[in-house]
Amino acid sequence: MTQQKIVLRGRKVIGGVAEGEALVSKAPVMGWGNVDIRRGVITERGHPLQDVPLKGKVFVFPTPRGSGGWVYYGFTRFYGTNPVAMVYKKGTAITILAALVMNVPTVSDLDKDPVQVIETGDYVNVNGDEGIVEVVKKKE
Amino acid sequence: MYITSEEEKILKGERGYLAQKCMTFLTKYGDAAGAKRLINIDGTVDLHPGKMSSWYPDTAISYEEIVELASKGEKFQVPTFANKPESPAFIVDGWEDCGCWPQNDPEYHKECMTRLIPLMQMGMFPTLSCDYYLVSSYVPTVCQHCAWGESSAIPWANAILGARTNYDGCFEAAYLHKIPEYDMHLDENRVATRLVECRTKLLNDMHYDLFGWVVGEAVGVEVPAITGIGKPTTTQLVKMNAELNTGGQVRMYHIPGFTPEAHDVEDAFKGYRYQEKFSIDQSNLKAVYDKINYASDEDVDFVYLGCPHYNLTEVHKVAMLLKGKRCKANLWVMTNPWTFKVAEMMGDKEVIKRAGGVLLSGSCPGMMKGVMPPASVMATDSAKQSYYITGFVHPRKLQVWYGTTEECVEAAVTGKWAGKWRRW
Repeated sequence: MTQQKIVLRGRKVIGGVAEGEALVSKAPVMGWGNVDIRRGVITERGHPLQDVPLKGKVFVFPTPRGSGGWVYYGFTRFYGTNPVAMVYKKGTAITILAALVMNVPTVSDLDKDPVQVIETGDYVNVNGDEGIVEVVKKKE
Repeated sequence: MYITSEEEKILKGERGYLAQKCMTFLTKYGDAAGAKRLINIDGTVDLHPGKMSSWYPDTAISYEEIVELASKGEKFQVPTFANKPESPAFIVDGWEDCGCWPQNDPEYHKECMTRLIPLMQMGMFPTLSCDYYLVSSYVPTVCQHCAWGESSAIPWANAILGARTNYDGCFEAAYLHKIPEYDMHLDENRVATRLVECRTKLLNDMHYDLFGWVVGEAVGVEVPAITGIGKPTTTQLVKMNAELNTGGQVRMYHIPGFTPEAHDVEDAFKGYRYQEKFSIDQSNLKAVYDKINYASDEDVDFVYLGCPHYNLTEVHKVAMLLKGKRCKANLWVMTNPWTFKVAEMMGDKEVIKRAGGVLLSGSCPGMMKGVMPPASVMATDSAKQSYYITGFVHPRKLQVWYGTTEECVEAAVTGKWAGKWRRW
């Protein structure tokens, strides 16, 4: 039996299509000193995803916070530690610039709250060109 | 994104390869941002001198290319100011006494300063600070479009000055005097959507520092209208702005009757109703205070003051607190290069030096990715510096105390942390 897909529609930030397992941060995500681009991990103290590798994941988060050094997430691309796609609820210049540098399919401003709908471990297809995010829930 | 025929020509290379690279970046950025067009910058630009003066490595303008442009006599098209140098980050003044290699190496310093020359030839003013806007002697006026960077600077431009900027200051914007028109450049995105009522008096600089974080965390990327915070000083506003963009990503806010785009609460919301309301009391400030205090060991090795870079009154205050005393812990007091020179004239640099501290300019431990005197326990009066520095040194554990400026100076003198939360 095929599993039902949940579809979210949003705004294209960066085009292209990619899929993978979701890594969802319920908390806002911070850059600059609080991301280690070589290891591809959040280093923010007390963050629920501290030290969890972003590599190969569809990185889902609500909003950015903090410094313009958020763009460093984009630089994970140069260390091969980058997520395969990004999906976020609402961003600003700093997420847009990071997505541009990372150059992976990225969708924001969706019709459903991605942090509510998507859970870590769900399988997610991100179509950046169409601004469509398809979610297959993980099996219980 | 729509581009004009003039922009199209630049994109095709008619104004040269480097202008073409800059336009390529601006159009890619505009597309990703969902901007309808580029807008002409009629305000100011600020950029981080160094490898991060371009955001996007694929079209970044290299040092050699900047030298090439400068040698042809090419100029930035708008008044352009220098933020802190980055990649490499370096201390601009006082480096001789900082005690950290390679910062205290004259050759390293000379090399770093030399690399600023082509940018200055193109017209970049070497303000070299995160709060360059306090000393730039030229600021944008209401409604002027800008391209700025830096946590405390973005809300300074938007909220305090009424100018319009996103977090995107860069070489390309200064050279072509254009930037994608979206978010803070558009009226509709500057209207308040959240109401924040401060239910406690904010009495000192630390209270405003904490309050900024609380509001940032509460509203995230939304625009708040803030009431009940009295008449903050310049020091307090700078601190609050830095934390609004650390606890959250607040680019714009209104203090009705105080900031230029809202004479009263109704005006801040432009006739709409707030979508959410937050009441802030002492318990909210205490919760952030507890989070930012990240230490248990009372023996303090290093005290860092100057995030954002201290203004003259802050440097002077520290000098007065230190007069006739001697520090047991290492102490750095960081300011911008302009303030450094005036503080030197004032005698404050000498007072700090006699007490065993160092007055510096142009950088910070965060900017230098954790460069500081050897420390396992530090103290600071900035929630922002506290919260980032542990990330920079991670997985090495660094304990950080947080408190008032006075408590930090006392810790530098005694080598012991004695700060505590005081109800008021």
